[in-house]
Amino acid sequence: MVPLPKGVWGGTTPAVLAILALLPVAVPSATLATEILIFAMAALACNLLLGYGGLLSFGQGLFFGVGSYLAALAMIHLEVGLVAALAIAVAAGAAVATAVGWLAIRRTGIYFVMLTLALAQMGYFLAYTLSKWTGGDNGLLDVPRPPLALFGVELASLDGAYAYYAFVAVLFLAVYVGARRVIDSPFGSTLVAIRENEARAAAVGFDTRHFKMLAFTLSGAVTALAGALYAMLINYVPLDNVAIAMSEHIVIMTIIGGTGSLLGSLLGAGTLVLVGEVLSAIWPRWPLLLGVGLILLVMFLRRGLWGGVESLIARYRRRGEAAE
Amino acid sequence: MSAYILETRDLALAYGGFRAVDGVSLRVKAGTIHSVIGPNGAGKTSLFHCLTGGRKPTEGDIVFDGRDVTRRPAHARVGIGMARSFQVTSLFQNLSVRENLRLASQGRDGDRALAFWRPVSAGRAHLERADRIMERLNLSARANAAAGDLSHGQQRVLEVGMALCGEPKLLLLDEPTSGMGIDDIPVMTKLIADLGRDHTVMLIEHNMGIVMSISDTVTVMSRGKVLVEGRPDAVRADERVRAAYLGEAG
Repeated sequence: MVPLPKGVWGGTTPAVLAILALLPVAVPSATLATEILIFAMAALACNLLLGYGGLLSFGQGLFFGVGSYLAALAMIHLEVGLVAALAIAVAAGAAVATAVGWLAIRRTGIYFVMLTLALAQMGYFLAYTLSKWTGGDNGLLDVPRPPLALFGVELASLDGAYAYYAFVAVLFLAVYVGARRVIDSPFGSTLVAIRENEARAAAVGFDTRHFKMLAFTLSGAVTALAGALYAMLINYVPLDNVAIAMSEHIVIMTIIGGTGSLLGSLLGAGTLVLVGEVLSAIWPRWPLLLGVGLILLVMFLRRGLWGGVESLIARYRRRGEAAE
Repeated sequence: MSAYILETRDLALAYGGFRAVDGVSLRVKAGTIHSVIGPNGAGKTSLFHCLTGGRKPTEGDIVFDGRDVTRRPAHARVGIGMARSFQVTSLFQNLSVRENLRLASQGRDGDRALAFWRPVSAGRAHLERADRIMERLNLSARANAAAGDLSHGQQRVLEVGMALCGEPKLLLLDEPTSGMGIDDIPVMTKLIADLGRDHTVMLIEHNMGIVMSISDTVTVMSRGKVLVEGRPDAVRADERVRAAYLGEAG
């Protein structure tokens, strides 16, 4: 028998690999599949804060928007390539998230949430005001999608929907594996400890502020990467990217999928993007149904869709054992 | 280095006009078990908060191991060798016993746990320390049980064990027997006496009977001040101590 791979390549990672391979044929278009992965990335980053750190941040849209704008502006005005644009987005997202975290973690509970909300709102109005750069209400148009190139050598054109999907899928896998490593690290375990009991975590010697801030930095970096990839996907940065609604969207995906489970984030993002795609064609007021769905989920499936899948598997296993 | 590992000088903590701790000067000798007792409202818990960094004293200073720690935040006291337990059990309820102790061991190294690129299993020293302490606490059989599923007595023992994981020079215990059943109390007193052999222990207790058998020194507080300090038998015989405790009963 072939031994199962252990660590970050074992467990749920093979399942993710299978999903990445099947997704573009399972959903109506490669573009839609790409969109799912981009939002799954953002949900994954949100999950690190919410599911593992217990930090409900409404700043996620701000980090997403920062990634979108900075990657787009760097490509348009500085004419940088793909890798550099993504690197700029990641660095900027990390920096902004660190700043937001630095301020917000001075308070806990509802005041913490309000601070992330207030900072995100400031970011939105800043983007709205700087219309010379961001296009304001009209959005930032003509965002290019440069070919994948390293050190001036062009490796692949990403113009085709499938080529771009493949590129995003590789990045998603890297983020997923990276996130699993982070969660299974001393840092990740400490983050869970802080979520469980902050007073005790401090009493055993952790400066809890440092851990929360690093969680923000990592989350912001990944969210901004997702934002940048999204701008390249739709060749456009709508002002909505940096709006509170974007934060909500990301938080809802995370909760629907299941907090504290990385695969859940992929599930949550996939569900929301697909349901949105299908329902919006039928009824423009579909978010109303989304609200109903969210209420049902919070009432009856507290651990999200992935939690539901897990209990189904457990029940199936128990039945299997009983039959033996 | 002096023989005293912990000294407070004229320590005071005032809440508005009320002085909960009112000019307390204490000296804890290294390698001893030193108990602070007193009736309700004597200021024991407020004193404990100052010693552990939960509250900043309004006057006076605290010197630990030759260092002024008066304004040092709680988390930063662990690295220099102070560790505490809580009066109301404060564990990571949903995590396993082993994980609780592993995290507490990891806490000793503070910010080094920010390493997000390293697997937890690389921190072997922390795992080994957790297992060693679990053995000492007699909790190895429950290693994988959630801390919240332990009996109350076992949770109290784990509570003390968490402080032990910091490999402290000084162990600060806040009413370790609080809420324990009459059957469990001897287990705890035995554990503390045992810990006293290789740690300096400072114990805050409400119940006088418990500390007398295990302490080297007893300080009795009343109304924010030190009333009497001395060996247990001397303290027990002291008229003022009887009066203070009787005053509470009456």
